[in-house]
Amino acid sequence: MASSAHSIRAVAPATARSSTGKPRRRSPLLRSAFPYLLVAPAVLYLLAITLYPGIFAIYQSLYVVRFVKWTWVGLGNYERILQDAEFWAALWNTVVIGGLSLALQTLIALALAYFAYRDPFIRGWRIIFLMPMLFMPSAVAFLWKLAFNDGRVISDLLMTLGLTSGNVDWLASVWLARLTLIVADVWQWTPFLFIIFVAALQGQDQEIEEAARLDGASWPAIFWNISLPMMRPVIVVAVTLRGIDITTMFTNVYIMTQGSPGGATETMSFFIYRQGFRMFNFGYASAASVLMLVITILVAQTLVKRAFRSGRS
Amino acid sequence: MASVRRDRSERFWLRYLILGSWAIVCLAPMLWFLTIGFRPRTEVIVPHPIYWPSWSLDAWRLLVSDWPIASYLRNSVVAVAGSVVIDLVLAIPAAYALSRYEFRGREDIGFYILSTRMMAPAIVAVPIFFLFKNLGLLDTIWALMLVYAAINLSLVTWIIRSYMLDIPKELEDAARTDGAGDMTILWEIIIPACLPGIITAAVIAAIFAINEFLFTLLIASTSKAYTMSVALANFTGGSDGIIYNAIALVSFLAFVPILIVVILIQKHLSRGLTMGAVKG
Repeated sequence: MASSAHSIRAVAPATARSSTGKPRRRSPLLRSAFPYLLVAPAVLYLLAITLYPGIFAIYQSLYVVRFVKWTWVGLGNYERILQDAEFWAALWNTVVIGGLSLALQTLIALALAYFAYRDPFIRGWRIIFLMPMLFMPSAVAFLWKLAFNDGRVISDLLMTLGLTSGNVDWLASVWLARLTLIVADVWQWTPFLFIIFVAALQGQDQEIEEAARLDGASWPAIFWNISLPMMRPVIVVAVTLRGIDITTMFTNVYIMTQGSPGGATETMSFFIYRQGFRMFNFGYASAASVLMLVITILVAQTLVKRAFRSGRS
Repeated sequence: MASVRRDRSERFWLRYLILGSWAIVCLAPMLWFLTIGFRPRTEVIVPHPIYWPSWSLDAWRLLVSDWPIASYLRNSVVAVAGSVVIDLVLAIPAAYALSRYEFRGREDIGFYILSTRMMAPAIVAVPIFFLFKNLGLLDTIWALMLVYAAINLSLVTWIIRSYMLDIPKELEDAARTDGAGDMTILWEIIIPACLPGIITAAVIAAIFAINEFLFTLLIASTSKAYTMSVALANFTGGSDGIIYNAIALVSFLAFVPILIVVILIQKHLSRGLTMGAVKG
């Protein structure tokens, strides 16, 4: 988190480039265009893969698409979707499942990072805690599908502990089904935050903490008043990145719940997928995509810029 | 010092209780899932879980005989490696410009590149599907390669940019006075100096590409383009239900090499995962 990032904002002034030695014969126009030529391929590639789909989605969302027959409906899809209880449910589910999942993994990762970062065995802890993140998400989804539903392992363990009397049907209840998705996500992605938090704690100035400890401050007080404020920019960046990924949750829903019971675990991503590729309402799916894109752009504009600006200072 | 030591002993039990508990939470499901890969099918989906497996190599036999596992693996490797190459070719010049030159709109271009990372795959899923359908690229690894490259381009660009910003200017100034051109400096000074960043970016991009699920699900429809990640979801042998022992086995076969590579780049992981925002 060194502030050196700014001082090294190395900029080659024009004078340096036409300095001594063999002057390079380049037209001034080419020289000023040079950085643009360097970024052009990457930017054009991304525009092709974001702008084209964006325009296509807006265009398609104005039609009712039935296989090859496109019928113009103007804003009809949008009118329908804003009155569609399933759409609002999907939005709500995304916020609820994502929010709880994010809060939980942030707290766990913070606690783990604070207890681990000065531990003599930190390298070992790091490798153990890292592992869940390195499995393919589809594999992790199957692992928890088996543990909760098909293999009944979790129910069995809960019965052994005397917490339940019989087999729990995790897909029968709204909150239990959501819980299975949250558990899978927390298990796999807490490591992401843990690794970043440990790096932040290791990189902080140890002296202040040491001084506070010599003054007899208790460790919760030190954590709350010293470590946490220091980590704030890092926490903002890490949680923003994780939050973005959580709101796009698809794989776990597809493999574990398929949106059941009664759509209680259908996220926005799954809603779009189902409308498009199961029911072939491509125009409707595109309208949902456009609405989600608008939300994304609004969030990305504000939150992400701020996170990455503060994170770099 | 005495106070420090006392403080340690007070927290000692709490610390190891918390860290130990989470280690169990991490490892227990993994180890249990590993045993699933060595069980006969009859022991997987059962009314009462069997914790101690009667070892069997059913899953291995199944993989070798019933599934074109080699082609899934080949598809994954080719699509992922190709996408990482595309990313590096596009990202290195872009990162060079963003870190070394002053030009109008630099910040905006940088943030536009970053913002593509925020795009939910589902948002562009329908248009991308039609795009590749019209290009005649559905069910090919070329389509997967192009999509994976697009997903990770922002990440790769920002990681490399962050490492380039750390290279001291003096290094290139000397070369400039000797009359070296911009591209020479990029090749001979900048790229070697930020090699750790390039490797980190490549590894993280490769992992995300291996994991990619939604686009692959839409683009691939036969073993021509199925990758490991999506092939898992197809290990459902109709009447047999989900073939968990084969899934578990494949999961670990993919996990081991990834673990080894990640341990090698451990030092750079936090920086890579935050696209350079956090210096680990």
